[in-house]
Amino acid sequence: MSLEEPTPDDGVVEALPTGGDEIADLLGDLVVGREEHMNAPGFVIRPDDVQETLRRLRDEAGFDHLSCVTAEEREDRYESIYHLTSFDDRQREASVVVPTPKDDPASQTAEPVFRTADWHEREAYDLIGIDYEGHPDLRRILLPDTWQGHPLSQNYDKDRPQIVTLKEWENPLADDHREEEGDTMYVNIGPHHPATHGVLHVKTVLDGEQVVDVDPDIGYLHRCEEQMCQSKTYRHQIMPYPDRWDYASSGLLNEWAYARAAEDLNDIDVPEYAQVIRTLGAELCRIASHMLAVGTFALDVYGDFTAIFMYAMRDREKVQNVLEELTGQRMMFNYFRLGGVVWDLPEPREDFFEMIRDFLDDLPEALEEYHDLITSNEILQSRTIDTGVLPPEVAKSYGATGPVARGSGIDYDLRRDDPYGYYDELEWDVVTEDGCDNFSRLLVRLREVEESAKIIEQCVDLLEDWPEDERTIQSNVPRTLRPDDDTEIYRGVEAAKGELGIYIRADGTEKPGRFKIRSPCFSNLQTLPEMSNGEYIPDMVASLGSLDIVLGEVDR
Amino acid sequence: MGPLQSQVLLPERIAGLLGLSGTAGQIVGGLLGAFIIANLLLVQTAVAGPWAKRKITAAFTDRIAVNRVGPFGLFVIVADAVRLLSKELVIPDGVDRPAYDLGPLLVPFSALLGFAVIPMGNGIHLADPETGLVFAFAASSIASLGLVMMGYASNNKYSLLGGLRAIASNIAYEIPLIITAASVIIFTGSLQMSEIVAQQAEPLLTLGGVAIPQWFAFVNPFAFALFVVANLAEVGRNPFDVPEAPTEIVAGYQTEYSSVYFVLIYLGEFIHIFLGGALAATLFLGGPAGPVLPGFIWFTIKIWAFYLFTQWARSAVPRIRVDQFLDVGWKGMLVLSFANLVLTAVIVGVIA
Repeated sequence: MSLEEPTPDDGVVEALPTGGDEIADLLGDLVVGREEHMNAPGFVIRPDDVQETLRRLRDEAGFDHLSCVTAEEREDRYESIYHLTSFDDRQREASVVVPTPKDDPASQTAEPVFRTADWHEREAYDLIGIDYEGHPDLRRILLPDTWQGHPLSQNYDKDRPQIVTLKEWENPLADDHREEEGDTMYVNIGPHHPATHGVLHVKTVLDGEQVVDVDPDIGYLHRCEEQMCQSKTYRHQIMPYPDRWDYASSGLLNEWAYARAAEDLNDIDVPEYAQVIRTLGAELCRIASHMLAVGTFALDVYGDFTAIFMYAMRDREKVQNVLEELTGQRMMFNYFRLGGVVWDLPEPREDFFEMIRDFLDDLPEALEEYHDLITSNEILQSRTIDTGVLPPEVAKSYGATGPVARGSGIDYDLRRDDPYGYYDELEWDVVTEDGCDNFSRLLVRLREVEESAKIIEQCVDLLEDWPEDERTIQSNVPRTLRPDDDTEIYRGVEAAKGELGIYIRADGTEKPGRFKIRSPCFSNLQTLPEMSNGEYIPDMVASLGSLDIVLGEVDR
Repeated sequence: MGPLQSQVLLPERIAGLLGLSGTAGQIVGGLLGAFIIANLLLVQTAVAGPWAKRKITAAFTDRIAVNRVGPFGLFVIVADAVRLLSKELVIPDGVDRPAYDLGPLLVPFSALLGFAVIPMGNGIHLADPETGLVFAFAASSIASLGLVMMGYASNNKYSLLGGLRAIASNIAYEIPLIITAASVIIFTGSLQMSEIVAQQAEPLLTLGGVAIPQWFAFVNPFAFALFVVANLAEVGRNPFDVPEAPTEIVAGYQTEYSSVYFVLIYLGEFIHIFLGGALAATLFLGGPAGPVLPGFIWFTIKIWAFYLFTQWARSAVPRIRVDQFLDVGWKGMLVLSFANLVLTAVIVGVIA
C-alpha cells in the first residue's frame, strides 16, 4: 500500500492546477513576476495581495499546507517566501514570493489564511525585521522583547550593546495580578518545570484548575543555528549542526534533511547502498526518538518514578548501542555526508546484523509490555482519550505534521508522499489514528515503532545480500561545492517529529546565502493553545507531552 | 499463637523497671515510652526514605539503585541525612511566618501522635484510651492543617494549588476512610485498640486443624479494600498523587521548602504511610498477631507490606486527573463506604 501514490479521487486532484503556468493563470493579475525554485514554481506578488493569493491557492488549487515561511534580506529588497504544498499530494509545491522595499519592509500577514503563519511571521519579524501588517500579535519570538536590531538583516550591528536588560524593562518581582477582582490566576509554567521537556515557558492563565489561556514563550535555547549554517561551507562543515537541532536521538533524521536539500541543490547522486544504510540508520533514530517520546509522555501522566519511563529508556538504549556501533557516536552522529555516508557498516558485519536482529526480535515483546502498561491501562485511557483534541482542519491550518498530524487522522508522511532514500522500495505502512486526542498520538508513536522495525528488517536483509564489490558508500563529490547564484530549494524529510524542511538559497559561493530550517516542533507547538484552552492543568501537561517537542529544534 | 497483647502498657512497664510509681512514674514512663516509640518509627522511616524507597522503585523499574556506600548501599542513609541537613535553608520573600515554619512541623508530629494508641505487639503500646481509634484518626488529620499552612504561607502559586488540592483530597477521602473504619466498630462494639485487636484473635473457622483468626480483612474483605484505597489517597500516592503531582504543579505545597523543612515534610509523609499501614493492620489484619514470630515483628512486616504497596502503586499506576480524583472520592468511595456500613450493620444486626 505504501508503495502506491495516494489514489486521487476520480479526477478531482487532476483538475487542480499543478504546473507553474496553470497556477499563474489561476492567480491572474496577482502575479507580478515568476521565479523558478528547484522544488517549485515561484510567484512574485505584491505585498498587499498576500492573503488573497494564499486564499486562492488554498481554496482553488488545493495548497492547504503552508509548510514554511522564509524571510531574507537581499541586496535590493526584503523577501518573504511562503512555501506551500498539499497534505494530499506533497509533490505539488508552490512558492509565493513577496518582495518588499528596503526602506519600508512591510507586507500583509498571512495569519488569517494559515494560522501557522502567526509564529513563522513573528520569527521573520524577529530575525529579519519584516513588518507584517495586520498580524494579530507581532512580537519577537526567539529573542528577548528588548533586543535591539534584527540579527539576520544585513545592516545588523552585532557590536551594538543590548542596553535594555529584561530586568529593567520588566520587573520580574512585580505583581502579576491582572486586576484587583479577577477570577483568574496567572502562572508561569517553566522555563524550569518538570513537564516542559526543556526550557519552555508557558504563560498560563488559570481559572481554578482549568486553563483559560496558554501562551508558549520560546527562544530560551536559540543558538543561531541558521546563521551558523550560513557561515559554513556546504561540503563538510554544515553536517554536524543538524544533530544539534533535535538532539533527542533523531540526529540522522536531521542530517538527512540537510543532505537531501544540499544534494538536490548540487545535483549529487547517492549510491543505492548508501541509501539503504541511511534508511536503516534513520529508522533506528526514529525508534529511539519515539521511545523517548512515549517514556516522557508516561512521566507526564504517571508522575515521577514510573516503570514505563525506565522501560522505554532501556529499549532506547539498545537502539543507541546499535547506532553507536554504526556511527561511533551516541548523540551527535555526524554520519551522513553529501553523496552518501561517512563509512561502511562496522566489521564484522555478521555481528552487527545479529545485534540489530536481536533487538528486532525482542521488540514485539517489549511493545506488548508497553501496551499492557500504558495503552490498555484504564486510568491512562480515562486521562488521555478525548483530551487535547486537535481536529484535522485545525491541525492542517497550524501546519502540524508527523505523529501529531497522523494522530488527527491526516494521512501525511513524507517518506511515502515525497519519496526519498530507499523508502519507496520497501514494504511498510503509514500509521494514522483518527481519535485526534492525546491517546491517538501515543498510539501512533507506538505503532510507528513497529513500522520502523519492519523497514529496518528489510534493510538488514538487503544489506546482508549486497554484493561485496558494489558497496559504494559515497558518490564522487567535488571537494568544494559552489552552486549557481540565485538557485533556491526547499526540501523536507519526515523526521521523528514531523516534516523537517530546509530552505537554501545559493549565492554563488561555497556557503549558503540563506539557510532556513523548518522545524516540525515549532509548528506543532503552536497547536498547544488550541488543544488545552478550557481543559484541566493535567490535560494541558499531557497535551504538551503528546506533542513531543524538543526545544533544541523549536528554538534552533 | 503467643500472647497478643500484654495487658501492661509501655509507660507502666518502664515505670516498674525504674522502680517509680505514682505521678512521677507516669510522667517518666510516658516520656521514655514516647521516646522509644518515636525512635522506632524514625529508624524505620530512615530506612524507608533514603534507602528502601530507592531500592523498591528501582526493582520495579529495572534499575539497581544505591549500592556504593556500605552493605547494600545502606550507609547512604547517613550520607543523605548529612547532605540534606547541610543544605541551605532557602526562605523565599513574602512567606507568611510563622505558618510557613509550623506547617512542616505539624506533618510528622501529627503522624507520630497517631502512633500513641497503636498496639505494636510485645507490649509496645503507649496508651490505650477507650476512644483510641478516634484519637488516631483525629491526630493524623492534623496533618491536613499543616499542608494547608504550607500551601497558603509559601507565597507560591504552585504551593497554593497543591494546598487546595490537599484539602480537597483530605475531605473527600477521609470520610470514606472513617466510615469504613466504623464498619469494623460495628463488629467490635469498642473503639479501644486493644479490644479491636483482641476480638480479631477469635478463630473464624478451622481448616485442617489450623485455626484461621477472624481478622476483619477475612470477615469483610470489601471493607478492607475500600480502606486501603482510601488510605492510598490519604497518604497521597499514585493514582491519588494529585496534591503533589510533580509534573503538573511542581511539588504542590512543598515546592518552596528546602533543607531541614524538606526533610521534615518527607519524614512526615513516610510516617503517615506507616500510620496508614498501622491502622489497616490494627483494624483489619489482627494488629500484631501472627504465627511463630513475635508480635512486634509481625506488626513491622504488616506496615512495611503497606509501604511496599504504596511504592508499587507509585511505579505502575498513572495519576488520575484532579476532577476524576474528586469524582472517585465523592461519587464512588463515599457511596460504597456508606453501603458497606449499612450492609454490615444490617448483617450484624440480623446475626446478633
